[in-house]
Amino acid sequence: MTAPAVTVDPASASGDLPGADAGSAVQTRALTKRFRSGQVAVDGIDLSVPRGAVYGFLGPNGSGKTTTIRMVLGLVRPTSGTSWLLGSPEPATVLSRVGALVEGPGFHPYLTGRANLLRLDAADATADPRTAARRASEALERVGLLAAEGKPYRQYSLGMKQRLGLAAALLRPRELLVLDEPTNGLDPQGTREVRLLIRELAQAGTTVLVSSHLLGEIEQVCTHLGIMSRGRLLLQGPRSVLDQRGVTRVMVTVAPGHVATAAGVLRVLGLDVSAEDHALNAELGALEPARIPAALVHAGVDVVGFEVRRPSLEQVFVDLTGEGFDVAR
Amino acid sequence: MSNLSPRARWAVPAVVGAVVAAAFIAPPLVASASSEELPAISPQQLVTAVAEARDQPLSGTVVYTARLGLPSLPLGDMAGASPVNLLDGSSTMRVWTDGVDRSRAALLGATSEYSVVRDGPQAWTYSSTDDAVVHYVIDAKDRARYDALQQDPPVAGDLPTPAAAASSVLGLVQQFSSVTLDAQSTVAGRAAYNLVVTPKSTTTLIGHVVVSVDAKTSTPLRVQVWDRTSKTPAVEVGFTDIRFATPSDSVLSFSAPAGASSKEVSVPLPETPAAAHSATVPDGTTVTGTGWDTVVQLAGVDVAGLLAGDADALSTVPGSAPAIGSKSGQKLLEEFGADGSSKVRDLDLGTLFGQITKPVPGGRLITTKLVSILVTDDGRVLVGAVPGATLQADAR
Amino acid sequence: MSLAETPTPATAPAPVPSMAAAYWRLQRSELRLVLGRRRNLVLLLGLAAVPLLLGLVLFFTQDTALDGQGPAFLGRVTGNGLFLVVASVFLCLPFLLPLTIGIASGDAIAGEASAGTLRYLLTVPVGRTRLLLVKAVGALAFAAAAVSAIAVVGLVAGAALFGVHDVTLLSGDTVPLGAGALRVLAVVAYVGLSLTGLVAVGLFFSTLTEVPVGAMAATVVVAIVSGVLDTIPALSSIHPALLTHHWLDFAEFLRLEPDWAVIGGGLAVQAAWVAIFGALAWSRFTTADVTS
Repeated sequence: MTAPAVTVDPASASGDLPGADAGSAVQTRALTKRFRSGQVAVDGIDLSVPRGAVYGFLGPNGSGKTTTIRMVLGLVRPTSGTSWLLGSPEPATVLSRVGALVEGPGFHPYLTGRANLLRLDAADATADPRTAARRASEALERVGLLAAEGKPYRQYSLGMKQRLGLAAALLRPRELLVLDEPTNGLDPQGTREVRLLIRELAQAGTTVLVSSHLLGEIEQVCTHLGIMSRGRLLLQGPRSVLDQRGVTRVMVTVAPGHVATAAGVLRVLGLDVSAEDHALNAELGALEPARIPAALVHAGVDVVGFEVRRPSLEQVFVDLTGEGFDVAR
Repeated sequence: MSNLSPRARWAVPAVVGAVVAAAFIAPPLVASASSEELPAISPQQLVTAVAEARDQPLSGTVVYTARLGLPSLPLGDMAGASPVNLLDGSSTMRVWTDGVDRSRAALLGATSEYSVVRDGPQAWTYSSTDDAVVHYVIDAKDRARYDALQQDPPVAGDLPTPAAAASSVLGLVQQFSSVTLDAQSTVAGRAAYNLVVTPKSTTTLIGHVVVSVDAKTSTPLRVQVWDRTSKTPAVEVGFTDIRFATPSDSVLSFSAPAGASSKEVSVPLPETPAAAHSATVPDGTTVTGTGWDTVVQLAGVDVAGLLAGDADALSTVPGSAPAIGSKSGQKLLEEFGADGSSKVRDLDLGTLFGQITKPVPGGRLITTKLVSILVTDDGRVLVGAVPGATLQADAR
Repeated sequence: MSLAETPTPATAPAPVPSMAAAYWRLQRSELRLVLGRRRNLVLLLGLAAVPLLLGLVLFFTQDTALDGQGPAFLGRVTGNGLFLVVASVFLCLPFLLPLTIGIASGDAIAGEASAGTLRYLLTVPVGRTRLLLVKAVGALAFAAAAVSAIAVVGLVAGAALFGVHDVTLLSGDTVPLGAGALRVLAVVAYVGLSLTGLVAVGLFFSTLTEVPVGAMAATVVVAIVSGVLDTIPALSSIHPALLTHHWLDFAEFLRLEPDWAVIGGGLAVQAAWVAIFGALAWSRFTTADVTS
């Protein structure tokens, strides 16, 4: 798990999203899937992915993310409940505007990467055959596979296979990308590239629903989050809801000899401070973090370091479920 | 389509299945139900009409089914289309005739055919399995007389058609049977009267015989022979489809194909036309009993030789046995052996003989639902539509 | 990675292709997939080898004691190369052709499922009914290719080794070469159409599983079991409805006057199997959860 540093400005994540008023890109109501074995994979979830959002759909393996995505895409028939994709209850009518990567890439092993893309494009009744070759090249270039387009798929590495899956999702301009575990099998560099790609697409206005069982990998790019466990959606909302859910702590490092003064200033601000060497540690509570350095400087404290530690997803998950995130059921 | 529920979608194959079943089952029902009312006729009138009816030019398909109760004989698969199949099971024939003296009958195997073509004074048999032709011509000395008579040559061609079977049955009608009319029915798509012939004798194996006669042409369309107990006919031969029209000339003529093995057989013309079917018995043959209880006894038959496929042994058979039901098949078998075909040997008739007969004091007995055959150890063969015990009594 | 395009679907300029054009685009892609796949090509080559080997064997044994021995039609090959087509089709019909059909049709849906490509096709989206139709046509095309491979190689090998002559029918009558060749063509066409029922059965099995080998094996087993049932006299009442019962009726075209009722009956039984198993495959495929 990477360091749970928050890099997204909460204001932009929770504020008005472009196109949000046009409704949700994905919405479900009491969506439930009970398999014939009796296992309830998805238990009455109300998913809501606003348009323009990068929605991180998180949860351990086996928590029901993939089944939910399959129901949203029309691959699996819900036992009960309804879902809307781009406002339509009938996924087939809008799927050409949706790019999807579901549970790993799937291509014909004996066809080249390019031939696989062209086959998918041939299957798209709304795609223009005249531009197929150009669009395939562009998609391959975008995921860095152009050099390997002529190789049979079976010779691809795991990372290349994953990239080809992304390329398939990018064959046409999409309003919504549904990426199920897009970083599976990718090395750190590949993971970074995927994050960058998602950010680029989001900036261009594409809604992205991205699922992962590895929190740190996509947490950084999400504007919205939904957390699943055991078929239930535990938490959902803009990135900032996490801050309210968990405990944000403030860490202040001061010059030697200023510890007592600093602790006094923080107490005046209403914080419950614990000190360790030159570091002071307190729960932030409702306090505006920007006030802390100002008050310390005003009191003549030499501030060496100041850090706001927002709650990690993992911590929130543990708080919500009482169990570790990587527990598969 | 896309918003049908799964239940509705699964109803589709059920509906399709029902429609398919209806499509396959309904037409025969409709056909049998649509038989229009025929004018009333007395049994005697019908018998007379059949006897007097001119032979019609026709073509059609004849299915022969024998359920004689013999042990299952895996002959059909091994032998291709050959008359041996007529002994038991089901066989299909195509027949064409101009109603005078040209005809063709083809016994169909799955991928083979045994054809008998008669064109006036000459006839051919052709077996596709062996690619073998036998050409029968009337003796040169009899040819002039034939031309004068334009009469049946006594050659091959005696496949068990409904007409042949019907004439055999109706020959026994007058003296030994009671004749009634059953409800009209549809046979081969044609409205038909059903003549029921019941033997007066109670000792014959034959229960009753139903002859279905085409109402328009008085042509027998189907003959069914019941034994005394079964619910289904023991032997059934009938048209499954029939067209009354003169077949094309190409069907009624024949020339041996290139590369086929060919054999010429010259046959004499009988003294008088009637002689062919007269009661005159060949030497070595004795007939006991009357009507349905007739037992034919052949003496001096080299059974062992016949079973070994020895063609010469055929000469020991005194003549054909006019027993109802087995007559045609037996004649064919005989003729088939005379072709010099290798198939008889392939089939190992000896083993077959052992399988379908059971030992009795003084010989071996074959019992079927309609016919019993006793082969005595001293070389006599007794055949009749009577129980085996009757034959054994006759043999003593 | 560069951002070359901006998703602006509302103003997408590309004209939407017509339904038919879109269907045929996918159908062409499917045909390329089926007929271009190396495994399938090897199968076709294997089938094409049958008439070649058969022809060579007959050619080198034609003056020996073995001449004229063996199953139906075999004895006629040395006299007329056209019969090599019929004999080869006849020999391949009990097992090799059902095996080929089983592989092609059993793989149709299950193969995509096992490769993981099914879910991507369906999210493209391809309507399930359309995909099933495309797959069925693909499997049928492969069946046609299989029969054609035997026929074409049989014709070429037969003509080269034995020459072609007027055709002697099963009745012993001889028809001119042109008419005879037409009859042989009809035999091949009938055999091809006789396999459509098995294609439908295989397609249905293919929708039941994600394991292509399972669907292939089950399809072949159906053909074999049907053949076995057809030989059991006690079941004669169901024989006419059996999938394989009418397969040998192709011989009708080699009779003096082919009975169209027999030929039509055989094809009607195939049509019935296609209708029932096609409907079953449709119901199953359009209601199944795709979890592969």
